[in-house]
Amino acid sequence: MSAAATAGTYSPASSAGEKRRERKEELRRHLAEDADWPRADGRSFHDCRPAFMQTGPTTAASGSAYAEFGKTKVIVSVFGPRESKKAMLYSDTGRLNCNVSYTTFATPIRGQGTDNKEYSAMLHKALEGAVMLHTFPKTTVDVFALVLESGGSDLPIIISCASLALADAGIMMYDLVTSVSVSCFGKNIIIDPTSDEEAWQDGSLMVAYMPARKEITQLTLTGEWSDGKITNAVELCMDACSKLCDILRERLKDASSLAE
Amino acid sequence: MAAEAQATATGGLAGEMEVEAYRRLFPLAFLERHLRESVRPDARRPAEARPTTVALAAVSSAHGSALVRLGDTAMLASIKLEVMSPSGEAPDEGSIAVEFHMPPICSPLVRPGRPAEVAPVISKNLEDILMSSGMLNLKELCLISGKASWLAYLDVYCLNADGSLFDAALISAVAAFTHLEIPLVSVGDDGRVFTVGGNEGKAKYELVNREKRKLTITNVPFSLTCALHKDNVLADPTAEEESIIETSVTIVLDSSDQIVSIQKPGGAVTSMTTIKECISLAKDRRRKLREILMDNVEAMEVDQTD
Repeated sequence: MSAAATAGTYSPASSAGEKRRERKEELRRHLAEDADWPRADGRSFHDCRPAFMQTGPTTAASGSAYAEFGKTKVIVSVFGPRESKKAMLYSDTGRLNCNVSYTTFATPIRGQGTDNKEYSAMLHKALEGAVMLHTFPKTTVDVFALVLESGGSDLPIIISCASLALADAGIMMYDLVTSVSVSCFGKNIIIDPTSDEEAWQDGSLMVAYMPARKEITQLTLTGEWSDGKITNAVELCMDACSKLCDILRERLKDASSLAE
Repeated sequence: MAAEAQATATGGLAGEMEVEAYRRLFPLAFLERHLRESVRPDARRPAEARPTTVALAAVSSAHGSALVRLGDTAMLASIKLEVMSPSGEAPDEGSIAVEFHMPPICSPLVRPGRPAEVAPVISKNLEDILMSSGMLNLKELCLISGKASWLAYLDVYCLNADGSLFDAALISAVAAFTHLEIPLVSVGDDGRVFTVGGNEGKAKYELVNREKRKLTITNVPFSLTCALHKDNVLADPTAEEESIIETSVTIVLDSSDQIVSIQKPGGAVTSMTTIKECISLAKDRRRKLREILMDNVEAMEVDQTD
């Protein structure tokens, strides 16, 4: 139904298309300079957006978490360990099944969220190393994420939110996984980019990190980077991950003290 | 002292475990024992609906949106407007496309790639009710007769499924339409419609829809689902109650208490008196829901004038 309907429709864009392009060019110029120019939302280069996280929005699930970083809003539900639905070979370790989907209204243009098909696989890879799969043999733990609104740095937020939901569900993990991404603009590195910044970046780097074990579970790098800058960026991400992990721990403590 | 306290604590836990096991093993007997005392497993009276909250403007990327909680059931409705060329039969009308989604996060019964069976049913019912209740005047979605009109995509997402999904979906859809704000637009040289923002733009371009920013919503439909078990009428059932009781009646009433729709999909036979009882419960519920929605709309307007 919607496919037929979309054929003749379009979202009315702002008339000031050219003006916007100019503004973006200006943003780029500023970001490429050395100075610590405040970003569109008033942050400096190395400031993250305020992180709001909460456990337990979905009571129907074994565990769940909600995360809101600026405009990005994500819900993750964890089900299981439960019977594996797919007919699969016997396995004495458990399976982790991840799925990421977007609401149709998550992106400025309706239905664009389906472009991010690789996120399900990337979420799986980021969490796989942290979950003690041998504690639930023959069964599956399902991790489902829904992006309510996409406002940039979606995947790192999904990963952090998913590890909070796994902890809420009582799934055994070696450590919480938190993730942060940075964008590179010329000489500068900006942390926790918004969608506008992501659209204009020269390169990006995402780190998924286990702070207590000091281990990286996933590192994705795209675009133009020089050696020294990579080291800097990874350290910046790791530091932010540790701080984000403290927030996750606080939320888990809040939830358990409420339960008592 | 400490040992005694510990003993009662563990005793309490064991007692609780037994109830929980009884609840899972004999769900019907568990429910019936409650109903004999005229109370439900979640401590509600049979005719009592769950506390309901409405939060408007939940999604900033949409033109209108609302988050509704009905007990633990959570619904997020959002409306996005797109421009289309109206059909030849109705050149001065816009249209709406309704879709109800049950993403895998909302319930353990839904898995990715295998959508829930009830989702398309609710989707269709929701569209029928919105169109037939006369709540919307599609002419208000027209921009330029015969050339351009709005197509309103209404997407309702169930974020947590705990029973009475249709009721919650309808409240959120209605609330999203009351919150809907139509963007100011003008027509470019190429005949395409574009949005105009800011005072500068307002002065520069000829606006197509200066007055039509909000839809006039006259006839607001609200619904109540009742689960019927023997002689008991349980208003606003939870997922647990719905899984035990097969028979349910959904009644939709408009602003003047006229019946828009009654649905009783199968189940045990029911007398007319029971249906009438459901209708009177639905009338009370409609008034309460209207108050809740109005309070939110007013609070929103106060916020905007500040």
